[in-house]
Amino acid sequence: MTQVNRIDGGQVDRSKEVKFTFNGKHMRGFAGDTLASALLANGQRLVGRSFKYHRPRGILTSGSEEPNALVQLRSGAHQEPNTRATVTELFDGLKATSQNHRGSLEYDLMAVTDLMSRFLGAGFYYKTFMWPKAFWEKLYEPVIRKSAGLGSLSMKDDPDSYDKGFIHCDLLVIGAGPSGLSAALAAGRSGARVILADEDFTPGGRLNAETLEVDGMSGADWAAQAIAELAAMDNVRIMTRTTIYGAYDHGIYGALERCTDHLASADGKPRQVLWRIYSKRAVLAAGSTERPIAFGNNDRPGIMLAGAVRTYVNRFGVTPGQEVAVFTNNDDGWRTASDLAGKGVNVTTIIDTRDAPAVCDVPGARHIRNAAVMDTVGRKGLKSVTLTSGQVIPADCLAVSGGWNPNVHLTCHQRGRPEWRDDLSAFVPGADLPAGMAVAGAANGSMTLAAALAEGRSVANEQIKDLGFTASRKAAPKAEDEPRDCAPMWHVGESKNRAWVDQQNDVTVKDIKQSYREGFRSVEHLKRYTTLGMATDQGKTANIPALAIMAECTGKSIPETGTTIFRPPYTPIPLGALGGRARGKDFRPYRLTPSHDWAEKNGATFVEVGNWLRAQWFARPGEQGWRDSVDREALMTRKSVGICDVTTLGKIDIQGKDAAEFLNVVYANAFGKLPVGKVRYGLMLREDGICYDDGTTARMSENHFVMTTTTANAVLVFRRMEFVRQCLCPDMDVHLISTTDGWAQFAVAGPNARNLLRKVVDEAHDISNEAFPFMACGEVTVCGGTPARLFRISFSGELAYEIAVPARFGNSMMGVLMQAGEEFDAVPYGTEALGVMRIEKGHAAGNELNGQTTALNLGLGGMVSAKKDCIGKTLSQRPEMNRDDAIRLVGFRPVDRSLKLIAGSHFINKDDEAKMANDQGWMTSVAYSPSLGHSIGLGFIKSGHERMGEIVRAVSPIHDTEMDVEIVSAHFIDPEGERLRA
Amino acid sequence: MIINHPHLGPRDAAEFIYLGDASLIDRPDWQDENATEKFYEYGYLRNNPAGEHQELWYHEQGDRSWLVVTRNTLTHEITKVEMARDVARARGRSK
Amino acid sequence: MPEFTLTSAPPLAGYDQSFDGVKLGAPVDLAIVSIALPLGGEVAAEKAIKSAYGAALPAPGKSVLSKDGLARLVRLSSDAAFVIFTHATPDAEPHVAEKLKGAAYTTDQTDVWSALEISGAKARTALERICPIDLHADAFADGDAARTSMEHLGTLIIRTGGDAFLLLSASSSAKSFLHAVETSIHNTA
Repeated sequence: MTQVNRIDGGQVDRSKEVKFTFNGKHMRGFAGDTLASALLANGQRLVGRSFKYHRPRGILTSGSEEPNALVQLRSGAHQEPNTRATVTELFDGLKATSQNHRGSLEYDLMAVTDLMSRFLGAGFYYKTFMWPKAFWEKLYEPVIRKSAGLGSLSMKDDPDSYDKGFIHCDLLVIGAGPSGLSAALAAGRSGARVILADEDFTPGGRLNAETLEVDGMSGADWAAQAIAELAAMDNVRIMTRTTIYGAYDHGIYGALERCTDHLASADGKPRQVLWRIYSKRAVLAAGSTERPIAFGNNDRPGIMLAGAVRTYVNRFGVTPGQEVAVFTNNDDGWRTASDLAGKGVNVTTIIDTRDAPAVCDVPGARHIRNAAVMDTVGRKGLKSVTLTSGQVIPADCLAVSGGWNPNVHLTCHQRGRPEWRDDLSAFVPGADLPAGMAVAGAANGSMTLAAALAEGRSVANEQIKDLGFTASRKAAPKAEDEPRDCAPMWHVGESKNRAWVDQQNDVTVKDIKQSYREGFRSVEHLKRYTTLGMATDQGKTANIPALAIMAECTGKSIPETGTTIFRPPYTPIPLGALGGRARGKDFRPYRLTPSHDWAEKNGATFVEVGNWLRAQWFARPGEQGWRDSVDREALMTRKSVGICDVTTLGKIDIQGKDAAEFLNVVYANAFGKLPVGKVRYGLMLREDGICYDDGTTARMSENHFVMTTTTANAVLVFRRMEFVRQCLCPDMDVHLISTTDGWAQFAVAGPNARNLLRKVVDEAHDISNEAFPFMACGEVTVCGGTPARLFRISFSGELAYEIAVPARFGNSMMGVLMQAGEEFDAVPYGTEALGVMRIEKGHAAGNELNGQTTALNLGLGGMVSAKKDCIGKTLSQRPEMNRDDAIRLVGFRPVDRSLKLIAGSHFINKDDEAKMANDQGWMTSVAYSPSLGHSIGLGFIKSGHERMGEIVRAVSPIHDTEMDVEIVSAHFIDPEGERLRA
Repeated sequence: MIINHPHLGPRDAAEFIYLGDASLIDRPDWQDENATEKFYEYGYLRNNPAGEHQELWYHEQGDRSWLVVTRNTLTHEITKVEMARDVARARGRSK
Repeated sequence: MPEFTLTSAPPLAGYDQSFDGVKLGAPVDLAIVSIALPLGGEVAAEKAIKSAYGAALPAPGKSVLSKDGLARLVRLSSDAAFVIFTHATPDAEPHVAEKLKGAAYTTDQTDVWSALEISGAKARTALERICPIDLHADAFADGDAARTSMEHLGTLIIRTGGDAFLLLSASSSAKSFLHAVETSIHNTA
């Protein structure tokens, strides 16, 4: 196919021919074309099928407001549906296909829906698919899903990468049209840091699309010169292909930069970048959008907005037709006629709804006054138009202008409401703008070029003066005010055939009238009932005409009828861009324990614990499954010695003269009298009296404590302690700093723990039971002088220590401990064996500290000191939380020892029915105890401490199981605690 | 949102953690006669104004300071940012 | 003679790469000690810092070099600061404590953090992808410091020169942090 509609002029680069295909057909265009301009150049008017009725559709606009020309780009995993051809930059090798048809674009089998249209009007789905209810999921929805929607997904992973970023400026200028360029020049010259963003790949906005002059040169040349001046300024950043899609609080704007969409390959770089722009001030210079007039069969390929028609002619050197008619209610439509005629395009007729003389002289064109288009002919492309008078005018392109709407979208993002201006027949920004924003040019209702240029400058100057900059004295660029008179007409009442208001959602004038008749009269109801204004274009060309038609029905004015306000995003944002880098293994960062490398080399299986990767168990050759490894690790630890990396526990360094007093506030139990060189178990409550976290705190010196928290709560406990420090006890001298990552900490547990450590801890330090008893702590050195901290604490119930070395030595320390432990058959153990041993010992962990349980429930009621205040103290004393039959933490074992206990089972007394009313409590943690040779569990049961030896039933309705279990002490191993004091 | 930190200047609200009503500073005295009632009110009852609200924000990804931010819940306009420690002292929480 | 010896292996030790317009490396033997100013003892602590380092503790968000240029004092908040200096052995904290003669509380932070130095003409462009702080020289001058979050990781960023920044992030997630910085460099190269 040749470029039959290519004419002279325009800003495309004719030296760079670009090859592309549409539905497999080979076509050519030039660098600087959009896909839409290239399709038109090649005479391709039909580009897609409509959403609901599969009507043949073409190109309506030349910008991001396009409702019709949605195509699918690229192929394979790169396939991207619903892309607007009007903003797709042409590149060599581009493959585009049309959407929403079965069979070919020309002969769509689904076009049958159009014949059924009288049954498929507004509300059809709501009314039809109500019953029977079961049919919805099984029949209606699958059928509707299959026939609805436009493009299709590749169903493959997105192969592109995306990124995010943060940029800052004094002034953000949104839009690089005449007012935006003028604003950016003024602000840039003052020295302010300026970001100038525009969604187009060539800045200039309408200047590139018009034949108007600025400062005595063509608009496009002036724009290029302005951009060159701005580009030379260090304080100005020009961002093309960048859409400012949302205005957020306090001057923050969202922007999407399309970095590689105009290239055949992204070459490993991010395809798009989602920017967060921090601005002190902003100028919205988003221009305006032309609106159509609704009339019968106004959706035929070849019927376009008048401004778009002259954009294709002036900017791209493409005429959308060979025999063009213009239908307008305003002066601006005449510019299309005049520009086209000036380029030698055959403009046959100007149909003006007004009874007014010609706006300008258009050679060869008839001027029909006080007339309107009522219907059109040409199923796959316009052939002729019929006027209300019955007159038929042959045309392959009809340029329609219903006037222009200021692009107020971003002014509404903080719930600002636009205001109606009768003189423009349009909404302009209201007074309630997002903080720091001012509006200039057509977006503000300053519709002429001269006004836009002047306002851009003056608004920018006011903004930067507010920030303390001195405005440059250079005058605004000069241009003339073009005629802009407009006599609103929204639809042609005489039309008998369907007149389309929202072409993307196939909503007609009749649908809006029906919505009115059925009581859906508020704009929000109209939108939801008819789907008007939804989908990728968000009703940019449809909302205002629809509102006007609803106003006509209600007999009210447009502003009385309502306004539609807009939410972000201005144009669609791919989910990939919102996700940024956060996908796959980069979904979130990982934290590695200091001995991670050692563990990896020694057969560890890792488990994610929050962001941490922890060794879960260390499999040895010949082991048949995780249980083999875990049983061995637990048994060997209890028999001789085991080593576990416990670095992930939160560590908080607490210093200050009031540190002990501070601990008394945050912990339920008292810490004031803890001697230096000792560790104490501490329990924290929430203010409502429920248990929050537990851990140990060591007193290193009079005013220096080292606290450990659970792994999961490390950050939360730190946050709460800062709250207590700053908000509740502002005059305590106490200072907190996290040292979690600073120390590699290892539990060394088992009867041979001391023997092992004696080989590692330097001889100068006496770690005998007498010198370093249970719950002792101190600073030592290891391996010939490396500083370390030693704590004699035990989670396993064995003779145990935790030894901490600076994290840089952690991986080496793990190896050293294992080497020193060789003679004792030391084993490394993971989180599973750790869990088994703590259940055997009856220690509470996350399953027991689950946000529902009190100190009393845990059997720690005595820990809440009566002598002092602490967080949670007062409310923990509420009667309901201290009932005689409160649940208590106890142990359980199956009466039939071969059975496996199930966590989550509920306890029911022997002769009671298994129902909630008879619930006695629940099983929190279970494990197979290799030491005892059977399953054991911890759980809460009413008055459990007084029911030792009683048999109850553990019922799990979800597993459909029930078994007899015996209530026993939670301390399955060494209940007297002899081992850990040995 | 942007919170203008009294010491560090304007910072993205994403660096902060929101806690809630700044009345949480006014923790009752455990030895008061009606301590349980007062703690119940302290723990469970909050004002939820449509308009100006004093609230606690924690600069977790920053200097770890707790701030009292006066924010209009309808417009998000922030009219005052104070160090919570100073507010606590002013409200009589000094020893 | 001890039977066993420990070897030091910080997570990013030895990392040093050059990219187009950006240099990225892990500084060797960087020690960090936190200093907390006692309540009511702030004046004495600041005096002790000044006499130990020959430089006054700056305002929060700022850092200064010591008089001999060997240590950097970073003020993190009203009552907390870091002193950052080159020191190979794991006794940085007692070393600083001795200099301050008990006038402030000190905690070793060396192994809590992992450091990266990023420099070069395109360093700022790369950091734009992860750093929400305005790094323009007018807004973030030489010596300025900020704690913030980059790719979900708490980070302390300090401008150490025209195009040079020191980044401190948690040592447990050092590899994820390095990946984030490298990705930013790749994406902006």
